[in-house]
Amino acid sequence: MTAAKILVEGDKTGYACRGSLGDKMSDATLLITAANAGDAKAAGELLVLVYDELRRLAASKLAHEAPNQTLQPTALVHEAWLRLVGDQSRSFNGREHFFRACAEAMRRILIDRARRKHTVRHGGDYLRVDFEGFDLAAPASGDYLLALNEVLDKFALEYPVQAELVKLRYFAGLTNAEVSEVMQISVSTVKNYWAFSRSWLLNEIESG
Amino acid sequence: MKTDRMSLLAFPARILATVDSLAFLKQAANTMKDDAGREIGIFTEAVKVSSQNRAAFLDDACGGDENLRRKVEALLSAHDRLGNFLEEPPLNEPY
Repeated sequence: MTAAKILVEGDKTGYACRGSLGDKMSDATLLITAANAGDAKAAGELLVLVYDELRRLAASKLAHEAPNQTLQPTALVHEAWLRLVGDQSRSFNGREHFFRACAEAMRRILIDRARRKHTVRHGGDYLRVDFEGFDLAAPASGDYLLALNEVLDKFALEYPVQAELVKLRYFAGLTNAEVSEVMQISVSTVKNYWAFSRSWLLNEIESG
Repeated sequence: MKTDRMSLLAFPARILATVDSLAFLKQAANTMKDDAGREIGIFTEAVKVSSQNRAAFLDDACGGDENLRRKVEALLSAHDRLGNFLEEPPLNEPY
């Protein structure tokens, strides 16, 4: 098993070589259509595809920008949409599944990166691999993100809907209006849930 | 004389308005039935209530459920300290 495989332990997506961009576009469109029809396997495959694409985009952006450069998940997500789906099928249902997959994929990417950094800082240097330049310009410690991820898992047990909203809002960088569209709740409910979730998570992090 | 009578009239009207809005908020908070929903509902309404009316609102809305009240109070206290928490994208967080 390669070091890279060890580092993404718990993640079964893998990095199979994929075909051309055109193939990926039709893959994504088919998967979104199947996911809309309630196909759970297609939703899982869509997550793999989106994860792969977002990871590649994030890595290339982080590698080419200055250390303190702003990198917005929302920009990555919209770029991934253009690359995987193109502009032609901006249907509401498709966007819903796509954004949910993006939120989960971005969370995994960031948490994997934070875990890797944590391992490196705690004597696990031999596990360091060049991850497509992912480490080169990344922000320092991800311990904050690891703590957040832990309390978010706890939050999801009691408040699954609100935890989903946090993923969309925070990890995929969606606006309140986009979250409202994806989750089919009003913008004012999005705002209320967001205030509640932030308060809950901060309270939990501080008391933990 | 005239101003005295006006203020006498205005005073109970103001009380009634406060009671009325508390009742309305309480009703709104109670429309969510399950525990999590109830907690979120009460928190959401309590955030809008001024700090001097908050205790009375919580007495009313939590109806003697001390556990619920403690939870909501902890959340309200966290809400006061939120600042920019989670508003920065994760890739820009100073971590």
